[in-house]
Amino acid sequence: MHPGRWILLAGLLGLGPAAGAPLFAGPEGSPPPAAHHWSFEAVRESPIPETRDSRWPLNSIDRFILARLEAEGLTPSPSATRAEWLRRVTLDLTGIPPQPSELDAFINSTDPAAEVRVVDRLLASPRYGERWAQHWLDVVRYADTHGFEVNTERPNAWPYRDYVIRAFSRDTPYGRFVREQLCGDLLGEDAATGFLVTASVLLPGQIGKDEPSIRLARQDSLDEIVVNTGQTFLGLSIGCARCHDHKFDPVSQREYYAMQAFFAGVEYGERDLHDPDSEARRAEAVRVADRIAALQRQITRHVPAARSETNRVCVNGRLNIERFQPVAARRVRFTIRETNSLEPCLDEIEVLDPEDRNVAAASEGTRATSSGDTVVPDRHELRHIHDGRYGNSRSWMSNEKGRGWIVLEFPKEHIVDRVLWGRDREGQFDDRLATDYRVEVAVDGGDWICVADSSDRTRFLAGTTPPDPFSIVAPEAAPTLRERRRLEATAKELDGGQRAFAGLFRAPDTTHMLRRGDPEQPGEEVQPGVPAVLGLCHVPGDANESARRTALAQWLTDPRNPLTGRVWVNRIWQGHFGAGLVPTPSDFGRNGVRPTHPELLDWLAGEFQRSGESTKHLHRLIVLSATYRQSSRGNPVALSRDAESRLLWRFPSRRMEAESLRDAMLSAAGNLNAAMYGPGFDLFDLRGGLSGFKPVESFPVSGLRRMVYAHKVRREPEAVFGAFDCPDAGQSTPRRRESTTPIQALNLFNSTFTAEQSAAFARRIRQEAGDDPTRQVRLAYRIALGREPAPGELADARDAVARLGAEPLCRALFNSSEFLFLP
Amino acid sequence: MTGDPIRLLPPGRHLLDRRRFLSGAATSMGSMALAGLLRGDGLLAADRPPVDPARPFAPRPPRVRPPAKNVIMIFCAGAVSQLETWDYKPELIRHDGKPLAGGPPVTFQGPAGELARPQYPFRPRGETGKWVSDLIPHLAELTDDIAFIHSLTSKSNTHGPAENFLSTGTVLDGFPSLGSWVSYALGSESQDLPAYVAIPDPRGVPQAGANNWGPGFLPAVFQGTPMSASQPIRHLTPPAGISPESDATARHLLQQMNARHLETHPEDGRLEARIASYELAARMQLSVPEILDLSGEPAPVLRAYGADDSRLPLKAAFARNCILARRLVERGVRMVQLFNGAYASGGELNWDGHNKLKEQYDRHGAILDQPAAALIRDLRERGLLEETLVVWCTEFGRMPMFQKGSMGRDHNPDGFTCWLAGAGVKAGVSVGATDELGRKAVENVLSLYDFNATILHLLGLDHEKLTFEHNGIQRRLTNVEGQVIRGVLA
Repeated sequence: MHPGRWILLAGLLGLGPAAGAPLFAGPEGSPPPAAHHWSFEAVRESPIPETRDSRWPLNSIDRFILARLEAEGLTPSPSATRAEWLRRVTLDLTGIPPQPSELDAFINSTDPAAEVRVVDRLLASPRYGERWAQHWLDVVRYADTHGFEVNTERPNAWPYRDYVIRAFSRDTPYGRFVREQLCGDLLGEDAATGFLVTASVLLPGQIGKDEPSIRLARQDSLDEIVVNTGQTFLGLSIGCARCHDHKFDPVSQREYYAMQAFFAGVEYGERDLHDPDSEARRAEAVRVADRIAALQRQITRHVPAARSETNRVCVNGRLNIERFQPVAARRVRFTIRETNSLEPCLDEIEVLDPEDRNVAAASEGTRATSSGDTVVPDRHELRHIHDGRYGNSRSWMSNEKGRGWIVLEFPKEHIVDRVLWGRDREGQFDDRLATDYRVEVAVDGGDWICVADSSDRTRFLAGTTPPDPFSIVAPEAAPTLRERRRLEATAKELDGGQRAFAGLFRAPDTTHMLRRGDPEQPGEEVQPGVPAVLGLCHVPGDANESARRTALAQWLTDPRNPLTGRVWVNRIWQGHFGAGLVPTPSDFGRNGVRPTHPELLDWLAGEFQRSGESTKHLHRLIVLSATYRQSSRGNPVALSRDAESRLLWRFPSRRMEAESLRDAMLSAAGNLNAAMYGPGFDLFDLRGGLSGFKPVESFPVSGLRRMVYAHKVRREPEAVFGAFDCPDAGQSTPRRRESTTPIQALNLFNSTFTAEQSAAFARRIRQEAGDDPTRQVRLAYRIALGREPAPGELADARDAVARLGAEPLCRALFNSSEFLFLP
Repeated sequence: MTGDPIRLLPPGRHLLDRRRFLSGAATSMGSMALAGLLRGDGLLAADRPPVDPARPFAPRPPRVRPPAKNVIMIFCAGAVSQLETWDYKPELIRHDGKPLAGGPPVTFQGPAGELARPQYPFRPRGETGKWVSDLIPHLAELTDDIAFIHSLTSKSNTHGPAENFLSTGTVLDGFPSLGSWVSYALGSESQDLPAYVAIPDPRGVPQAGANNWGPGFLPAVFQGTPMSASQPIRHLTPPAGISPESDATARHLLQQMNARHLETHPEDGRLEARIASYELAARMQLSVPEILDLSGEPAPVLRAYGADDSRLPLKAAFARNCILARRLVERGVRMVQLFNGAYASGGELNWDGHNKLKEQYDRHGAILDQPAAALIRDLRERGLLEETLVVWCTEFGRMPMFQKGSMGRDHNPDGFTCWLAGAGVKAGVSVGATDELGRKAVENVLSLYDFNATILHLLGLDHEKLTFEHNGIQRRLTNVEGQVIRGVLA
């Protein structure tokens, strides 16, 4: 590993050069004028401002906020009630409303540190990681299908989703979180590199066969990685420079391709997940497979011999056994004279000696020759006939329809008594199967002697399922057969360990500048590098694949990188207040919006560093501030000056995200299934595809988990909550829109989901509050809205409950604006 | 570069510019409603025009009365062969069975075969004498009304990305569809129906699915609402088991709750918008079943469209969708996307004729032709064609060669035909041309950016000014490209 070195634009960043690194100061000795932009400059902490009102601030954040309010002639709003604060902070940190018991405990508490205890409890709750992971998954446009052309299932994407949830729960220091997502395969967090391949992608079979299509698809898929990395970590739209120099930011087209070169060896694909559990399972699976193979060879001693006047079972695609009297052989010839279709294909020929050793294996020094081959590289090649690997993708195919031969020549003479062969031992294929064949042996200088052929086998009949090759065995093989069957069941359970769609890494391609972004117009070669305005990330031209990603990860997370920390603290701020101090969270470039409170942003970035890059520390600071504690009510003076509350003269209320809304309904109804992690539950009858998605209307218990665990189908919005501006995972969603549509109203009012959860909610209320309508209404309000009903509200609802039960009330509460919005 | 962020955020400022451009007067009802819808996104920081909560789809007419008010887009999924339809290539008949000199040895699906003559006879039609094939005899009769563009090119030769490109101006997933841009810019004339309706084909959705009518990063209110004559909007009625009394009670309680909540937050436009959304939803519960109910259509109309064709149920189903399209624009829906053909299926369910092109097109042509032609005639007879733009499009074209060993044509993004008719369109013209064998556009080569810029232009929208901020980029339907195709404008 060669960690990249952070070499500074000293003048620009106001810091000395890294130890031992040459000073870099732009091509002409000074930074280009385009470079002057606030976010490219080093984080600079100003003193915490003094405020006229010294009683309101609870912590440093408040002093920054109050100083600006005072400068604008605005005053903070009164505090929210304790109940409002609890509901707000609980929804905000966990995405689920507080339970009435939590509400009572907090309201009645006289502990001066009660708020701190609430926040500690919430941050320690597994519900916190689930909630905040969703924000991150929005940014990286996570989904469980491939998008694009066929939108088929991406069945093993979820280990990355689980990784993100765990990382938030554990409070993984942010720099480490970033590094794990770029090179977690080297850091013991193997699923984390799912980050690299979260985008939609064309799978190999969906790309045109012509070279231009293949090159364009590769470029598109690399572009997604560059865009994702630039936006997510740096808040820079580097992708804009794919076809031309960036119009606003100092990113040249050359620098775009330099960024692309970091990922020139990354492929979209699935691999074995290397976590301890999977490793153990895999090791066990290998042992079991070896044992099964050994048992199988033992059993082959007990099948009827060829040419023994016994009728043998017909051939099958998986495995056929030719047993004969032990005979000396230097060569074995397998001649095919007829197949069930097309050119014959064999995945492996094994020749056993009486001790079950396969003397035909290439590893034994045996050579293979043939009558002629159809070659598909890495799939059908002569060498696969005895390479010890099974399956169609490691097989030999003749170049003649219906015929062909293989000769296996051992390095020396052996006594052999069995030949094992198959078309596809993995059982996927049974075309191209030899149905008429002959097996011969010869010693040096001797003639070929036929030891077995197909004449004593039952004839192969197309369209029938051939019997198991072990269906007729001598009785003494029975215990071995039973043992094999038992181990096969074990093997099925072990299933080779977990796989993860977390990228495949190979030797990097050479990266070229592309004129107008057109892969058909390559220009000069480009080495990995970062935009010069941000410094220098030195990577040797011959750096291997993992060294490239490592270098970029180191550079991104160097404490001196001016963007990474700012972008992150701003995303956290946005998560709490609905808008960041920079309201364009993925654009800190010149086209983005300047921070409302630049000094606060930099103070937070510094405080974040001091805390060891603890995200939970940031949460604590923010939610325990007086700023966060303000009421969300408006006042005409402030409204006329700052309607959006960008200066935070009140808490800006916002609608819950689609996922929180569903989770909150389940929680209120007492139906939320708290099971964590693993493959997503179904929202539709299909897990991928283009159309015909039939939504699940009535969910089984597994479907009542939090929505972050739903199997996320790109482009197909969830039937009820998708309409609430749920991202379709096509492009990054750094900040959710909050639009209001009649479809939302229809979904939330008329869906089966709402009806069922309203009924469950009503049952819960009757169970807990008894038959008295007044008590029922009060409990319903406390569960759904975290407060007691006002007398008028109680009066409105009581009669309805008395007449019809609590169901209509619960349905109305689930649709009410107060339920949907943070207080 | 930005001023005090408190006064006006750049996106807000852009929006105001856009609003002036869109509405002329910043105080019109339309701009107020637009502002109301977008304010929740923090896009408008400064002036707070009062929301008209009853009209979330309020019309936002451009300052200058545009030629077209509405759009019906007939979207033929799977890539219709220009050579079997609108692009007459007599030289291809002469070269039938010969190799294409200098042609690509490998195309999308594999090795290329020999040139193949058009699979249908062509003949001159109408006053203009435009040669059109016998595959589509009814549409062929309308050529005098149509402006053909024969020289279009696409950026992708793969269905999904190419449909993205046609519908959203980029090959990637996740960008706003043309219809979303249009409803974002113009609102709707209908206050009882969504502004933008996508009508999927009875055989299924196209390859890029909901991307074709998705909102991308525009607010969800601007997305296309999928519904067809056979598949209404979901959740129009309460589920079984909820009595009318219970339903009315829940609705009444909800109204009381939301009204009380608004009283305590009188300044919050989002709360008003939510109340309005429930009112519009209630109107849709009546208007949508009504508009989907074709039983009131007279028998001659059903016959003209082929909606009564019992021999060809798919044609009848598509015909019903065509009638629905007319009913929607009649009621002021801004944008209707009418899909013909589903996803890739070896050419069985859409126009992707790789293997048995003639056999499959015989079927697909019969489904498209009479209903689509009847729709245009019907619009004309009702005077709706004067204010409705009809677009016929497909994601790319097909090769003049057959594929090796097959009786079909491979994908060809280098030269294909789409056309426009109706409001603002110069009737009876043909713009651009492919080479004499139909392999590539050679004369007046145009991109789908140009095509989309032209559609926006006909609606009174400047494709360079209709923008929306996303991740630091002022996004447009046409990226940084596109020129209005003047030759098709009346």
